[in-house]
Amino acid sequence: MPILTTRTARLIFAACLSAAAVHGLHPVEAAKIVALKSADVDVYNEVLEGFDSSFPRTTISEYDMEGDFQKGRKFLARLKSGSRPDLILAIGIWALQVVVEEIRDIPVVFAMVLNPTTVIGQEAHNITGASMNVPIEQQIALLKKVSPQVRRIGVIYDPSKTGFLVRQAERIARDQGVRLVTKAIASSKDSFAALDAMQGEIDALWILPDLTVLAPESVQYMLLFSFRNKIPLLGLSENQARMGALLGLSFESGRDIGSQAAELANAILSGKSAGELPITAARKVRLTVNLKTAGKLGLQIPNEILEQADVLIR
Amino acid sequence: MTSRLRAAAGLALILWVGWFAGPADAGDLKDTIKNLYGPQGILLQPTPLPFFTQESRFQASSLQGLDQLNDQLTSAIGVPSFNSSVTGFTFDIERGIPVQTTESLGPLLAERATTIGARKLDVTFTYTRVNFTKLQGKDLKDLELVFLRDDANGNGIRDTAGPFRFESDVIRAKLSVDLTEDIFALIVTYGLTSEWDVGFVLPVTHIRLFAKSHAAIFDQFGNPGGTRIGDLPVHQFGPDSTQPDASGGGDETGLGDIILRTKYNFLRNYDGLIPDLAFLVEVKLPTGDEDRLLGTGGTNVAGLFIASKTYGRWFTPHVNFGYEIDTKDTRENSLRFAFGFDARLLPELTLGADVIGRYKPDGTGTGDHVVDLSLGVKWNPINSLILRANVQIPLDKNSGLRADFIPTVGIEYLF
Repeated sequence: MPILTTRTARLIFAACLSAAAVHGLHPVEAAKIVALKSADVDVYNEVLEGFDSSFPRTTISEYDMEGDFQKGRKFLARLKSGSRPDLILAIGIWALQVVVEEIRDIPVVFAMVLNPTTVIGQEAHNITGASMNVPIEQQIALLKKVSPQVRRIGVIYDPSKTGFLVRQAERIARDQGVRLVTKAIASSKDSFAALDAMQGEIDALWILPDLTVLAPESVQYMLLFSFRNKIPLLGLSENQARMGALLGLSFESGRDIGSQAAELANAILSGKSAGELPITAARKVRLTVNLKTAGKLGLQIPNEILEQADVLIR
Repeated sequence: MTSRLRAAAGLALILWVGWFAGPADAGDLKDTIKNLYGPQGILLQPTPLPFFTQESRFQASSLQGLDQLNDQLTSAIGVPSFNSSVTGFTFDIERGIPVQTTESLGPLLAERATTIGARKLDVTFTYTRVNFTKLQGKDLKDLELVFLRDDANGNGIRDTAGPFRFESDVIRAKLSVDLTEDIFALIVTYGLTSEWDVGFVLPVTHIRLFAKSHAAIFDQFGNPGGTRIGDLPVHQFGPDSTQPDASGGGDETGLGDIILRTKYNFLRNYDGLIPDLAFLVEVKLPTGDEDRLLGTGGTNVAGLFIASKTYGRWFTPHVNFGYEIDTKDTRENSLRFAFGFDARLLPELTLGADVIGRYKPDGTGTGDHVVDLSLGVKWNPINSLILRANVQIPLDKNSGLRADFIPTVGIEYLF
């Protein structure tokens, strides 16, 4: 069943009327924004709240595609044939995928998308957004802070999925004085041999947001590799830290990603082109440190990191 | 969820309640069996002198026996279990995509620990047919009550010999009871937060109770007609007595006992073998008219611990255990339990099996220990729509008022 909602429409409408009466209408305030949500999950609702809070005087129509691409496409077809919005907010990767297929001439801001460049083609100049990727600089810096001995960081990756990310990471690592030891894999089964080949060659291991690498058996083997070789493993989430990774680093909240997307939307509605605005990474992060793992690896976690940690697993 | 859909759901609810919550009729279906032979019980044909007056000699026993059976039957009519499915999405932070909350559609009658998710609304309509066939293991179509005569000579015993041997005469009443329930239930669950659900069950019941009885007099040796003095029977039915054949009953439709429920999932997705854990509080309100057999007449409060864990994204065993307090009659307090599993056999099809029971430590003897097997399926033809069907089969038909099986069908939508 298609779900088209107008969030807090009455209140916002009343607020708009009052504001217009007192101050006169500003172009941004009068904008028509449509939010397309990939599915109804808490973190996407948080994104919308964060976005909403930056547009207190704008009516944002929300549509939930319920994980159904066909539904999303139909909605966008209706949207194009009717009164066109000034901006589309695509929340989540599925919404971004259908928007990339269907929308060419309406500015699009996405939010909460992992590795968005794998979805957006080079020719899409109407799209920018706030990804949920954690800045690579921050991840490499964290591994260095945890253990000053870290000079070589191992990553396994599927070139078709995260080749672009590895190329960026290699540059950033060089700038930070460390070397990235990379092994390309084509399927999760290749991860065992790839990791075995890194034995003695690396001082830390880093899990990339790569669907091939994230197969459960690959993650399990990376955890095992970390323990056997007594090297720190940087994961993508608190969950991976709970599974045994020394560190888990992820975006802090959907709300903040929503605020970042709102800043980009604001710039577009103020006259900038989406193509001019670079895609952003999560500016606030959530760090989990597994102290039990630190003990097993024989690592003393510096106070600076302990203070920075949002979750300590003891 | 859209405000339009919310409004439609609200309107449907108001209509649902308004339609069935009308004033009660004066007739007391509850007393059908008690009043089968009239409010005075069985009165025999008055006998001429020189016999003692015999007409009211079985009155007390018949009243007591019918009353007891009436209570056994009516107190055992309960509200079947209800629950809601868990569907929808959660977010996989590592892969950056939403994933199904669980790969299974959930159990049919028992509960699992996970909640439906923040701001989700689950609306379910079910229809349950209960055709009661047994009471304490006895066929409802072939019940027998034996009414004893009172003490005529005041010696404190029922004489079996001598001039007062007629004190051992009995009246045997053969009863056939037809008792069925059709329960239409609206079950609504709303996720206040991702861990906390609130909801209610609003049952509308159609109950039909018919009973017929044939009474006959026997002597202590089982000879029909009872003791005779000379050619004359001491006890007999006649034109001025209660008639030996009696029938009565009727049917009622109305709002049953509303159940309010809340579930808090305090542990989820913990590592290792530790299951998801939740606590459920359920309050059954006496909104159903007890005299019309639509409700139990008391408020019950239950607390249940729930543990469940999903393995391999398709198999979820679960255990429920708790205690229910009956504020009207504490002898009816019961330990409740359920254990079983739900398994997603196909992407859109889940099979569930449960053993559901309750045990009344201080019960009255009727239905003190009830155990049922529940088997069912849930089918998810499109995104948020679930069709469900299950059958509840008593594992012990010798306890309480039981049906051979209880079928339930339902339709569920998650907004």
